[in-house]
Amino acid sequence: MPIPPSFARVLASLYVSDDEFERLSDLHYQDAGHGYDAFGLHPDFVALGELVAGPLYDKWFRVMSRGHEVIPEVGPAVIASNHSGNIPLDAAMIWMDVLKNTSPPRVPRAIADHFVPSLPWVGTLFARSGMIGGSRGNTKALLENGELLLIFPEGTPGIIKPWAEKYQLRRFRVGHAELAIRHGAPIIPVGVIGAEEQMPLLHVSKRLGKPFGVPEVPIPAVPFPLPVRYRILYGDPIPVHEEYGPDDADDPDLVRAVAARVQAAVDKLLKEGLAERKGVFA
Amino acid sequence: MSRRLPDRRNVLITGADTPIGERLARALLADSRVDRILCVCGGDSELHPMADNPRVRSIQVDLVKSRRVRELLFGPARDEQIHVVVHLAMHRSPRARGSRAHAFNVEALRGIMALAERHPTIERLVLRSDAAVYRSRRDLPVLIGEEHPLNIGVDVPQWVRDRVEADVTACARMGLGRLRIVVLRMAEVLAPGTGSQMFDWLESPVCFRPAGFDPMINLLSLDDATGALQKAIFSNHQGVFNVPGSDTLPLTACIRAWGRLGIPVAEPAMGPLYRLRSRFSGHEFRYGINKGRFHFSGVLDGSRAREVLRFVPAHPIDWPVA
Repeated sequence: MPIPPSFARVLASLYVSDDEFERLSDLHYQDAGHGYDAFGLHPDFVALGELVAGPLYDKWFRVMSRGHEVIPEVGPAVIASNHSGNIPLDAAMIWMDVLKNTSPPRVPRAIADHFVPSLPWVGTLFARSGMIGGSRGNTKALLENGELLLIFPEGTPGIIKPWAEKYQLRRFRVGHAELAIRHGAPIIPVGVIGAEEQMPLLHVSKRLGKPFGVPEVPIPAVPFPLPVRYRILYGDPIPVHEEYGPDDADDPDLVRAVAARVQAAVDKLLKEGLAERKGVFA
Repeated sequence: MSRRLPDRRNVLITGADTPIGERLARALLADSRVDRILCVCGGDSELHPMADNPRVRSIQVDLVKSRRVRELLFGPARDEQIHVVVHLAMHRSPRARGSRAHAFNVEALRGIMALAERHPTIERLVLRSDAAVYRSRRDLPVLIGEEHPLNIGVDVPQWVRDRVEADVTACARMGLGRLRIVVLRMAEVLAPGTGSQMFDWLESPVCFRPAGFDPMINLLSLDDATGALQKAIFSNHQGVFNVPGSDTLPLTACIRAWGRLGIPVAEPAMGPLYRLRSRFSGHEFRYGINKGRFHFSGVLDGSRAREVLRFVPAHPIDWPVA
């Protein structure tokens, strides 16, 4: 947001406690000189992000999470999750969950589609809290800095799904696997349960998003997300950094096989989570 | 095959009457590894302020005229046994347009490189290029490496196009002959007289910016720009190197640091507003040149310069500069 960090901090203090501010002072990021990293992240805006996502996480979606201890304290890693819900609240909930459950706190750097940085206000707010545009150069730089990436390998087709196809994963793209192999990062599969039911899809418009370069705009059946219960399940990391060398990233068959392995792991987590839950709101 | 350069080097600086040129000449005079300095000023410029120093020789040359360039290199430059040419001469104002401006920005460099190939003493050329040569678009990386796409296109203003052409002209010659070439793609030097678009933009008490956007920018101080040129002069490597500055910050933070008032306006109004400003107050800022970076972040990745030239920016900008 085009506001000074001090103002962001004042706003954030409406929700974020002094202890949390203290914890955020240990945030792992590379200060490029004025308190921001080169991609625009600033700790005070991360706190502001908590103001926005925190109440949704705690009160509205009442997020339950399991297995977050697999997230490494330091070093690069790729979190690969299913994507759903018509608006990317699943990304916000994973972001909040990782931030809350890591010590020292880590901000997952969510990889967004190319059109997101060109959205006025939204693109800037997302960048301040850690999101980056999905280009090869950006992801490479972050992994080399030992950061945590959050990737949705299904892409936009994953988030916009008809009700009848909920929890059916779209074919995973392979970029996350290639990145992890090349930069020696483990892949942490994540299954998110609940987001599929938050805003049932009514219609998809290709015309509405045109002025902003957005390929498709979902029109949901409800004006705001339903208070479904979110479950975030982390699977065992896939140690591609131990199994392969950086040059293996040039082997398309191997990269496809790793992506399929990640998809199978996410699918397994979804099945487990769906079997465990007693109801959409419970 | 290039010859080994002596430890003490003689340096020719084109554009020596620019703020960077003057600062560089001063720094080289204080450097024990430099013997003689040949300062080349514009045809209509006054002589270099350090012309009375016995180690400095200052001459005026119109670089647009190829005959004068030949006379420079095979006259004073041969007499002074110049080893390194630092090419800083480039039109700073976007008002400079047309074939004469192109001749100055591009053809002069082409001529200098061709002549330097058969010069008896010149072994090295350092070109000061610009981060403006890089394209800025939503799908391109924030961190700009040397392989980043260049800003080439029919709709690109001549101010940018000439910089890209000069840069590419130097790069195309690398490794083809004896001359060892270094191209330094510098972040914008935020200082008066350097042709800085950002400096001109910040000169107004009110700075308009596109509403909803606050991209990250990287700025270089005069001291760091001079430091990078010195590293390139004394290095034996050739290649293209990004030269980032110490200051990486959002556009709005830049406005605040300068003590200006930033006003967000709708994107379609930006161009007309700054065209009016330029028409009535004679300012040099052109929104067309800066549109991309006023929307999308772009920060130079200086890891190559750090590894090869051992250049690390160490002098943050002393805000405000004016």
